[in-house]
Amino acid sequence: MFLTRSEYDRGVSTFSPEGRLFQVEYSLEAIKLGSTAIGIATSEGVILGVEKRVTSSLLEHTSIEKIVEIDSHIGCAMSGLTADARSMIDHARVSSLTHNLYYDEEIQVESLTQSVCDLALRFGEGAGGEKRLMSRPFGVALLIAGFDKDKGPQLYHAEPSGTFYRYDAKAIGSGSEGAQAELQNEYHKSMTLKEAEVLALKILKQVMEEKLDCKNAQLASVTAEGGFRVYTDEETDEIIKVMQEQHQEES
Amino acid sequence: MEALVQRLAPPPAHVDPDEYDLGADGEGNLNALGVVRGMQVPRVPDPAAFLSTYTNSMSQNPQAKIKLEHGTTTLAFRFRGGIIVSVDSRATAGSYIASGTVKKVIEINKYLLGTMAGGAADCQYWETYLGMRCRMHELRNKERISVAAASKLLANIVYEYKGQGLSMGTMICGWDKTGPAIFYVDSEGTRLKGDVFAVGSGATFAYGVLDQGYSWDLSDEDAQELGRRAIVAAGHRDAYSGNTNNLFHVREDGWEFLGNKDISELWYKYEQEKRDARVAAAAQPGSGEGAQGENPARPTTEVQSVPMEE
Repeated sequence: MFLTRSEYDRGVSTFSPEGRLFQVEYSLEAIKLGSTAIGIATSEGVILGVEKRVTSSLLEHTSIEKIVEIDSHIGCAMSGLTADARSMIDHARVSSLTHNLYYDEEIQVESLTQSVCDLALRFGEGAGGEKRLMSRPFGVALLIAGFDKDKGPQLYHAEPSGTFYRYDAKAIGSGSEGAQAELQNEYHKSMTLKEAEVLALKILKQVMEEKLDCKNAQLASVTAEGGFRVYTDEETDEIIKVMQEQHQEES
Repeated sequence: MEALVQRLAPPPAHVDPDEYDLGADGEGNLNALGVVRGMQVPRVPDPAAFLSTYTNSMSQNPQAKIKLEHGTTTLAFRFRGGIIVSVDSRATAGSYIASGTVKKVIEINKYLLGTMAGGAADCQYWETYLGMRCRMHELRNKERISVAAASKLLANIVYEYKGQGLSMGTMICGWDKTGPAIFYVDSEGTRLKGDVFAVGSGATFAYGVLDQGYSWDLSDEDAQELGRRAIVAAGHRDAYSGNTNNLFHVREDGWEFLGNKDISELWYKYEQEKRDARVAAAAQPGSGEGAQGENPARPTTEVQSVPMEE
């Protein structure tokens, strides 16, 4: 990508003559090495789906955590250097809880995302005198799914560069190009939560190398009634079955 | 000014300041990790001495202009069916009744209750804050916090502020893996585990009723009635307690609110019941003293045999 390596790719706070921050751009590359994660927002709620890379049959698949709870109404899926996500998620949880303590209301999904992105920029010093916290940008991207009373179900994509966008449907990670194209084809505004569950798994199946099952894929949802919830292995298997039946009918 | 404040402010609690010096991060008195980083105190050479001159929170100084809320009766006890938490609702500032509708039971979460005695603001703030820390524990460890751990968290926080004027006497009540548990925590830093506690100016009156009626094997109804009676007695005899009674029952699946009732109305209802019973006993010659268990005028039987309203 950057054929002529120069001294400009060393410091995190030095622009290249073309106006690029190489370390930040490299951090986006780190995400493309990560496992695929998909988010789909419907009017009923948001679905998150992730691929879990079970690299050994001796590996306990439940110990791979790629979807986590931030608060009862917000959850997130990650891709990239997942260790980096630990501090982002802890920060997000603290933000949500302190908001609740100070204002006695649930934090908005956008505010929460903004707060995480503020942290993502702390590889440099802040304009308000904030100290530099990290030696490099994060190597992980988040799909933040949430529900709030004003704006309903929402899906945000937060990058290490500190930018965030709201999406109807978004894929990140190694299979993101194919997955995003498929989302572009299949997504429609009137999609139900049930359809989104199946679509998320269907796309994961297409971009994954291994055969899809409840051990290497995980789903979660955020709805008005249930809040954030990770699906059990049995529920995931059930949706896989539905997906396979639909596939047979079509062919 | 900045340096002065820094010198006077207590050291941040629980956190190595070098490790987490996050500058402007966090909110209010909390740092970026949601941990208390110390509060600002009055900008005087000795904040503790300042407080004891102007408020009655740390001394018995009768000249103190600011009289903090102190009168209260709160109680909680453990029994076979869980925990009963019963409190009054009066807030006083000296001899003035500031409110008769105070919520002295703080709902920390679905499984944890805290009671309020002493400074209303201190209890309210720190127990709400405790609720946040308990939720944080839940998210980080995927497991509910134990009552022991939750109460220790609170005890450690108040101990950091020892001698600086905090005033709270609280019972942290809840159900965890070990079953029902009550911990008494106060602003001196005391933390005690026990089965029966009463806290506040009316506590002695409440203990009087509790001790004569308490048994581990009480039925749910009798336990609830005992909790109510103890607060009614204290509300009647202690001038700094009264107005209404709030009653809670903590079971395995969380706490349940059993209603708010007027203490005076309850007292005179109980009195009427006693009179009616005496009249009924007198009308039946020959019964009376022989059958002790049947005599409703005796407090022991009374507490256990009179059903709840309706």
